Amino acid sequence: MATAQRPDEAAAFSPAELAQAPVAYDEMLAALGDVRPHYAALDRRIATLASAEMSERQRTLERFFLLQGITFTVYGGESSTERIIPTDLLPRIIPAAEWAKIEAGLTQRLRALNMFLSDIYGDQQILMDGVVPRELVLGAPSYRREMQNLYVPHQAYANVCGSDLIRQPDGAFAVLEDNLRVPSGVSYMLANREASRRTFPGTFRAAGVRAIDRYPDLLLATLKGMAADWRPNPQIVVLTPGVYNSAYYEHAYLARLMGCPLVEGRDLVVHDNMVYMRTTTGLRRIDVIYRRVDDDFIDPLTFRRDSGLGVAGLFNVYRAGNVVICNAPGTGVADDKAVYAYVPAIIRYYLGEDAILPNIETYLCREASQLQHVLGNLDKLVVKAVGASGGYGMLIGPHASQKEREDFADAIKADPANYIAQPTIQLSTAPCLIDGVIEPRHVDLRPFILSGEKIVVTPGALTRVALRKGSLVVNSSQGGGSKDTWILEDTADEEMAS
Amino acid sequence: MMLARVADSLYWIGRYVERAEHLCRLSDVMLNATLDRTEAASQATRIVLAAVGDTEGARAASPYELAFALALNREDGGSITSSLALARENARQVRDQITTETWERLNLLYLRVTGPEAPKAFADSPSTFLHEIIADLHLFKGAADATMSHGEGWRFLLLGVYLERAQLVGRLLGVCFGDGRRRPLDDHMALMSVLRMSCGLEPYLRRFTADIQPRKILEFLLLDEEFPRSIRFATARIEEHLSATARYVDAAGHAGPERLAGRLRARLQYADMDELDVAGAGALISTVLDECAALHQAIYDTFVAYSLEMRLPA
Repeated sequence: MATAQRPDEAAAFSPAELAQAPVAYDEMLAALGDVRPHYAALDRRIATLASAEMSERQRTLERFFLLQGITFTVYGGESSTERIIPTDLLPRIIPAAEWAKIEAGLTQRLRALNMFLSDIYGDQQILMDGVVPRELVLGAPSYRREMQNLYVPHQAYANVCGSDLIRQPDGAFAVLEDNLRVPSGVSYMLANREASRRTFPGTFRAAGVRAIDRYPDLLLATLKGMAADWRPNPQIVVLTPGVYNSAYYEHAYLARLMGCPLVEGRDLVVHDNMVYMRTTTGLRRIDVIYRRVDDDFIDPLTFRRDSGLGVAGLFNVYRAGNVVICNAPGTGVADDKAVYAYVPAIIRYYLGEDAILPNIETYLCREASQLQHVLGNLDKLVVKAVGASGGYGMLIGPHASQKEREDFADAIKADPANYIAQPTIQLSTAPCLIDGVIEPRHVDLRPFILSGEKIVVTPGALTRVALRKGSLVVNSSQGGGSKDTWILEDTADEEMAS
Repeated sequence: MMLARVADSLYWIGRYVERAEHLCRLSDVMLNATLDRTEAASQATRIVLAAVGDTEGARAASPYELAFALALNREDGGSITSSLALARENARQVRDQITTETWERLNLLYLRVTGPEAPKAFADSPSTFLHEIIADLHLFKGAADATMSHGEGWRFLLLGVYLERAQLVGRLLGVCFGDGRRRPLDDHMALMSVLRMSCGLEPYLRRFTADIQPRKILEFLLLDEEFPRSIRFATARIEEHLSATARYVDAAGHAGPERLAGRLRARLQYADMDELDVAGAGALISTVLDECAALHQAIYDTFVAYSLEMRLPA
């Protein structure tokens, strides 16, 4: 019989580390090992399954992903192999009350960040008022001067946002970072759901899980809304870098579920300040581009000259107001890791409210006093390069060797403005099936927020899992996987407990 | 209206799956025929080699080795596995345009033939291995027929299937009857093999009884109106799909492929049977093959790689 292991038994820390690091919050088990009420039904279901049965279900799940082609291809030499992103069988469950707070917090955050972007690319009032340092924003590599004074409908710059939340040891959620550029993972949220409905149909039905299947049509409505005031029936396309991109499955998936063409740069032509796609019947005008290509690559005339993924002249079409690009170019300045530290102040500045979801305490190495603190406490901090993402360019102090810390200290001293540091947070743990045994692994939470005419938070999320024992890094490029996330209906909380 | 690149991919999916199916049949018939030590056995091997374009004959290889390579050699762009991999890669590029049911059939097949167990499965029973691929490809075509909208995309898929089929059957006939340097095939067992390779034995028997004659085989595979693997049948479908796509296309420039298809179909429809003799078949077969090649080029020029200058909005 499979039984859940206590979280502290699995943590791979030395006693000294445990003494300084508070024990992670476990999503399923409370302090004394009691199962939290919203996990009770799942726990009972698991208890009836033998380890072999669980493993069998895990294989069925993986088979489902392979068959659907939810894979990335590892190209090498003459042969190529298909891999699936590891997916865990056991859902992560979030009660309605907790979700309500997350939803309110994310809505508030997105409103403020869109206002911030509109201001930065407009009058720059917030810089004049000295709330955010001018050089921090205008000097950020993600700041796009080309966006200055461009009209963006509804001030909706970040139409699709995927913010990464973590649960701290005290049980409170906090925002670790925002992804306002081309966040991915939503197809895994949807595919995980489809898979877990098959794996635990009974438990799923009884639990009262909020539906997420409307994501594609809400996305479509958001994109449509971006052209509403000038093209009542817009031609919308999804722009992908192509089949070799690791998120290609997601691009095709969203295009298919929205019923929009999936285009590549080579399908598009700019003529007379309009953008067209090459169809079998000639050229056809495009009004809205949901682009899954980074800013740098969308237009070789405006941004990177060596880009073959975009369309020459596209930015001019955008400038002329003849196409909408979603997300708007230049949104990256609002999810810059240094600007992040100012988000609570940004929320207060535009909305006059305190942030509902707190930030993680962040030290900016560009400030001399904070730099000293960072260098003196490298063994306790997580240091991140401002421009990097995906778990690269990052030092996890407590897990690093003396040598790694020294090397990183040199890098920080050489270019302090490029680094920020945060305390090492024990991400919460959730039960995962590892080699037939249930063990806790650290997880984060990436909900997806759409903003157009209005802001909508999909009642679901991608829960990313650090599958390596003790690891705090959940990125798929660093050995991370994912699992389904059940957001319970309001009335469901008590029923689950009963 | 669909993306030109997408139409091109769908067309190539059709071509590749048809090619894979044909190769499976050639290999299977060859392996079966070579169980007997007859004249027909060596003829079957020669036909397969010639039909896959390998006239030199690297041919110290046994029929089994030849079939194995034809099935599983990834380095040979013309092998069954390569064809399936290319079909699947094209499908991946238009994943948003084909239904999940259609995709799953092709993906499953791809995973099986490229998987680590494939060589062993082939070795255990080549016949079972090849038959399963053929059956899966029928499922693929059935799923496409039953679940995809019969609109422009589906028509491009079928254009690929039928044009490839016309060319493959044409090449097979050319090898058997159209090579002026060789005596046309007349061995009974070898002729049966040709019918099996074109999946036409049973329908042929129903039409002509067991009276197996080169001239009748030619007539059947070139000119039969109802047999789905005759060139005339394939050409008629090509013409149908092209004139149906005309509904989606501005009339300008579309005349090319439609006219070519119509001419070829008429050539076969009104061919004079009494003048069709085995000795003179080569000329007709090579005309058919040339016109198929021109049709392929015209489809590409009209729908995919057209000049932008002609299509810019006024």
